[in-house]
Amino acid sequence: MEITLLQALALGILAFFAGLDLFNGLTHFHRPVVLGPLVGFILGDLQTGIITGGALELVWMGLAPLAGAQPPNVIIGTIVGTAFAITTGVDATQAIAIAVPFAVAVQMGITFLFSAMSPMMSKCDEYADNADTDGIEKVNYLAMTVLGSFYFLCAFLPIYLGAEHAKGFVEVLPEQLMAGLGVAGGMMPAVGFAVLMKIMLKNAYVPYFIIGFVAAAWLEMPVLAIALGALAIALIDFMKKTETAVVAMKEEFEDGI
Amino acid sequence: MVSNTLTGAVVDTTASTPEKTMSNVAENEYQDQSVGAPLTSQDINKMAFRSLFLQASFNYERMQAGGWLYGLLPALKKIHTNKNDLSKSMKGHMGLLNTHPFLVTFVMGIILAMERSKQDVTSITNTKIAVAAPLGGIGDAMFWLTLLPICGGIGASMALQGSIMGAVFFLVLFNVVHFGLRFGLAHFAYKMGVNAIPMIKANTKKVAHAASIVGLTVIGALVATYVRLETTASITAGQAVVKVQSDVIDKLMPAFFPLMYTLLMYSLVKRGWSPLKLISLTMVFGVVGKFTGIL
Repeated sequence: MEITLLQALALGILAFFAGLDLFNGLTHFHRPVVLGPLVGFILGDLQTGIITGGALELVWMGLAPLAGAQPPNVIIGTIVGTAFAITTGVDATQAIAIAVPFAVAVQMGITFLFSAMSPMMSKCDEYADNADTDGIEKVNYLAMTVLGSFYFLCAFLPIYLGAEHAKGFVEVLPEQLMAGLGVAGGMMPAVGFAVLMKIMLKNAYVPYFIIGFVAAAWLEMPVLAIALGALAIALIDFMKKTETAVVAMKEEFEDGI
Repeated sequence: MVSNTLTGAVVDTTASTPEKTMSNVAENEYQDQSVGAPLTSQDINKMAFRSLFLQASFNYERMQAGGWLYGLLPALKKIHTNKNDLSKSMKGHMGLLNTHPFLVTFVMGIILAMERSKQDVTSITNTKIAVAAPLGGIGDAMFWLTLLPICGGIGASMALQGSIMGAVFFLVLFNVVHFGLRFGLAHFAYKMGVNAIPMIKANTKKVAHAASIVGLTVIGALVATYVRLETTASITAGQAVVKVQSDVIDKLMPAFFPLMYTLLMYSLVKRGWSPLKLISLTMVFGVVGKFTGIL
């Protein structure tokens, strides 16, 4: 079965919105169990779409993004995989193998976007300085458009040109450079923390910073536990101060008499 | 969270905090100290809807800051009619933030109540981080590990029998819980925060101190968990290969490089380096490190 240009475009647009839903909206229509039937509907074979979607849902279950670690991209995997399952009649799980290079490519696109958006934050600081609310909104819309376009390309190209031909585009991506950006991405929050600490870290609070670091690095405690422990410390401090204040007030009273 | 538990202890000692720990008071505090305009139910709904775009401009440096501010904007405009105050508030909300995208409205509701009561920017930021960061783990357990597998499992088994109802069932069940929590938490947190306004207003300094303790402890923890920097270098001594990261650094001090790099960035920021410069430096460092094989 041949895929028409119109169908390929429709699938690309589906990828655009599903890609956004992964981070924004989060209605989870980007899950295979929903995307499968949608791909099937576009290609005129709803039944295969439903069943392929169900099978892929089981494959990806539990692969949701946990603590920032990125699993193989579910959207490109599902859209490209289901499209090939429908057009070539291969098994769903075999079909995803064809989609893997594109799922990896979109992941690189995301890494690139998350790096490229970091300098944009300085622009946002400037907007904030001028109380320019429209500027802040524009940056958000721009970032979503770029992200969606990555998804569009990574779905449209392999589906329209065929996986073999489209691989050429993907292989152009400089892998080592992308890996380097990934490493830089891991370090980047250090800059964000530094900016925060410049405002918030007064000498009196350095001990608490150390306590938090020790609890996380050595004791590997969850952040919730650390926050509750810190709350306890804050409360102890709080009550102690209240007592001395009350005592001081009483003394003043007695002196007065 | 912080403010609520402190209520009982403080009431009788309102004016007895003479110490001034704030160094840059003027820059930190809002000019207009009168309680901001009340937010209607529609305002809160609008905020909850906009919170869907929390990660729109996600990036490695500030993480969700841009989308977080996007969600708060209409309410902030209503609260801060003074342009300088609005700018101050916006700048404060551009600080690094990472929380769970489903539970974020809980933080937003509390923060908007604090904004209305015109707490200083540092207290608001500290409270924001102290409440937001722990929600990550809670949300992961609730959504990714519980709700999604349940909905997905049922949906997939129906789909495998060829029924479109699998997809419909999945979408409806998941989103009833999702939107119910998102909008419910927004209203709940805002009301809770508003009820605490008189108490917070009366104990501004004490609340600020408590928020700083929790906020900075959490930041210390986050530096160890969010910043990732490991060396892949190894030393070959005759037959033995010593991996610098796992054999040396991790045994002495886990998260050693993340802490050192953060402190380096901190000292450079204090010397007046712009974030933009530091981001470029970090990118060059990462790419060169990868090419030379030490990272």
